[in-house]
Amino acid sequence: MSILGELAQIARTRPEQLKEQKKKGAKIVGYIGRFVPEELIYASGALPYLLCRGGQPEPPDAVIPYMLRFMSPYSRSQIGYHLLGIDPVIPMLDLTVVQCSDCHESRLADLFEYFKLPTVRLGIPPDWGKSLSRDYYYKGLAQLTEKLEALTDNIVSDQKLKESTDSLNKIRDILSKINLLRINHPPPIGGAEFIRLNHYSFYSDPGNLLPKLNDLYGELQKGSSPFPKEAPRLLLAGHVVGVGDYVVPRLIEESGGVIAAEFLDEGTRHCEWNVKTDGDLMTNLGETYYLERTPPSVFQPAWKERVESIKNLIRDFNIDGVIWYQLSFEEVYDLECSIISKALNEINIPFLKLESSYEYSREAMGPLTTRVESFIETVKQLRS
Amino acid sequence: MAKDIYEDFLRLTGFEEDEMPKYLPEWRKASAKLGLTEEDVKFAVKEQLPTYFAIELEGIRKLLGCFIKETIDLTRASEYKERGAKIVYGILPAILHFYYALKLTAPDKVFVSFPDIFLTFILNSFFHKLAPYLEEAERTGIPYGCRHCALNKTRYAARRLGVIPSPDINWIWGFICDEAPKTDEFINIYHDPEWKTYITRLPHDQPLGTVEDEVISRVEYLAAQMKDGFEFVQNEIGIKVSEEKINEVIVIWQRYAAKLAELAQLMAADPQPVGAVSVRLFWEGLFTPFNTGIEAMEEALDIAIKEIKQRVASKEGILPEGAPKLLIYSLHPTVPWVAKTFEENGVGIPLSEFFLLTKKQLMPPTFKDPYMAAAEGWLRTSGMVNPGYQSEQICEKLETHKFDGMVFGLMDFDRWLGSSHRLLARMVEEKTKLPVFYIEGDNWDDRDYSLEALRTRIESICEIMKMRKA
Repeated sequence: MSILGELAQIARTRPEQLKEQKKKGAKIVGYIGRFVPEELIYASGALPYLLCRGGQPEPPDAVIPYMLRFMSPYSRSQIGYHLLGIDPVIPMLDLTVVQCSDCHESRLADLFEYFKLPTVRLGIPPDWGKSLSRDYYYKGLAQLTEKLEALTDNIVSDQKLKESTDSLNKIRDILSKINLLRINHPPPIGGAEFIRLNHYSFYSDPGNLLPKLNDLYGELQKGSSPFPKEAPRLLLAGHVVGVGDYVVPRLIEESGGVIAAEFLDEGTRHCEWNVKTDGDLMTNLGETYYLERTPPSVFQPAWKERVESIKNLIRDFNIDGVIWYQLSFEEVYDLECSIISKALNEINIPFLKLESSYEYSREAMGPLTTRVESFIETVKQLRS
Repeated sequence: MAKDIYEDFLRLTGFEEDEMPKYLPEWRKASAKLGLTEEDVKFAVKEQLPTYFAIELEGIRKLLGCFIKETIDLTRASEYKERGAKIVYGILPAILHFYYALKLTAPDKVFVSFPDIFLTFILNSFFHKLAPYLEEAERTGIPYGCRHCALNKTRYAARRLGVIPSPDINWIWGFICDEAPKTDEFINIYHDPEWKTYITRLPHDQPLGTVEDEVISRVEYLAAQMKDGFEFVQNEIGIKVSEEKINEVIVIWQRYAAKLAELAQLMAADPQPVGAVSVRLFWEGLFTPFNTGIEAMEEALDIAIKEIKQRVASKEGILPEGAPKLLIYSLHPTVPWVAKTFEENGVGIPLSEFFLLTKKQLMPPTFKDPYMAAAEGWLRTSGMVNPGYQSEQICEKLETHKFDGMVFGLMDFDRWLGSSHRLLARMVEEKTKLPVFYIEGDNWDDRDYSLEALRTRIESICEIMKMRKA
């Protein structure tokens, strides 16, 4: 079995592993969002589980009796599977930490609480340039730590936090090195697999994961690329590719393109930013998670900085075109799309907006495939 | 004909004869700037206003006039700016105390407005002509398909079309939705680099049922955010406001709110004395600053209360005595046929939950500090807090005014205020056992959810209510 296959198998069987661990007394903590530090959960002795599913139309629909239907299908999915009775993890969670950085996430937290699921909210002020807001997030992290300590009956000591931070820094380092291999022409790994790899990394114990990632890095360094050299190099940008939402990345690469880089807010490790392990570790966590990483779209101001980040990726990864993958009714990303489209038009970078409500029926796939194929042809022609 | 219809319009909206020489030319100029034609004005005079507003009441005519005066003033914002006044914008929902305090401190040096709210109300409620603004926004970067808010589109389009100038500072509150403040970032980057914005935000992170105004750390944080924002605004425009001025506004606000509570009691009378659309704009005085001042609004309110009291005393109503009565989450005159259709089908829908005040809201603030008082007031407001607390407040309002049920919805553009309605409907129904309904729709913009599209839904609700009460 390939390393990716092994990692996929580990991720698939993660719920069973967690059940075993729970029987032995471990606490399982689900979490939603990039601002919830896994480091804290590990340091408390609990096992984290990222809730990040997507790609199917029924789970978001299951939420409609409780929520406006013009809400993000991704956010709705995080409880929709549970409402359909097909989420193996949520029923066994001892706690779910829901970041509240926007309306979609906060309404999701409402539903977790309405359905009596043990929940704690982590407030994320989007006006991130103010000390008031920064302190609010830091205080939220401190309160989360207290909740985790109460849940696990463990103290989140500096030593434990340093260990978990070290461990996750190593995961980020090796994923970052793998990512940088994609600068090569053609890249040894495309976006469809790299996105999955990111996902797998959330569902494996870091200690077991690291050697496999190191091995994968070695293989990729030595191996040949599955993509032809002339394949247009594309950037996939947007909010999130959820776990299971692989239709669009796969379609792009089956249509002759290669996703050489991603610019996503959620469902990915933000590998470029490690957490410092000297000084005040809680402050370090806060700084890295809240201040240092590229701000998510909902932060304000964010879009000028995000356009620059995209331009840097285009330059560094030699990108030929950008595909904006947007989920239906995500109003902030919809506005941002116009900003980015305009900015890329000014530098003659082809841009395609794809919008998804996770409806990938045969009827929906026809037009989607045509659009992606046409775009890739256009990019090829422009490049030649 | 042209002269007559503009004059007729002003008469119909409560302008006195001695005001005509000043306001007639100004109204002609303003309406042209807004994109209104003589036909539009005629439509308002002959159809829209007589159909939906109780223009036989002086208080209602005066109320409409206040909105026209304010809109005329808004179309002159560029002139204010040229004369050196500082332009300060905001958006709904916000606590207007700070904007008014600026105005009270330096009446000639500052122009305050929430421009989109006046434009939206006037253009759709009076003329049914907001669509050109929405379409302008949709053509130029705010796509149609994502169900963006009409207010945000209107603010953007108004700037694009030159109806309003860039502000000196646009103090935006993102205490509710994300889209409103992000629209201002959009305007700044996409269209107008002079569109300067300061944002003030509050995460929605309180567990269901938390009585947020009693969580001191939350009140303190909100107060600090308000203070931070207001200090920024003052520094930006060079006008220093004393805390006494804010307190002065709080007194005015509370006096106005108390009068609205009286109006609410009258509207809840059996039979319902006047159509719901007619009085709804009075409640804007609680949330929207008028650059022309609140005094005229208060005067109109006093007259309306007196007139409606007479109707209640004489049991004069628009519906038969004993007709079912529903509380609606928020009724907007921008889509006036919603209430009218209920009323035509024998069901009253006299008051909007969003604007009704609870007993706690009418109590004096716990804190002397004006920022703490403002923050506490905000966190006592049902639409601003978690659905658990909000549902408790809604239940109180249903009980206070003896409603027979409730209608949620018509807010499908709002990812905060509108997104909880289905959940709230369940919570309220569970607690009160009253019938609770949900209507998907948009109460700013009826292009998608027209009367024809919603008529059957409304008629069905009315039938159910009448059968229950029979």
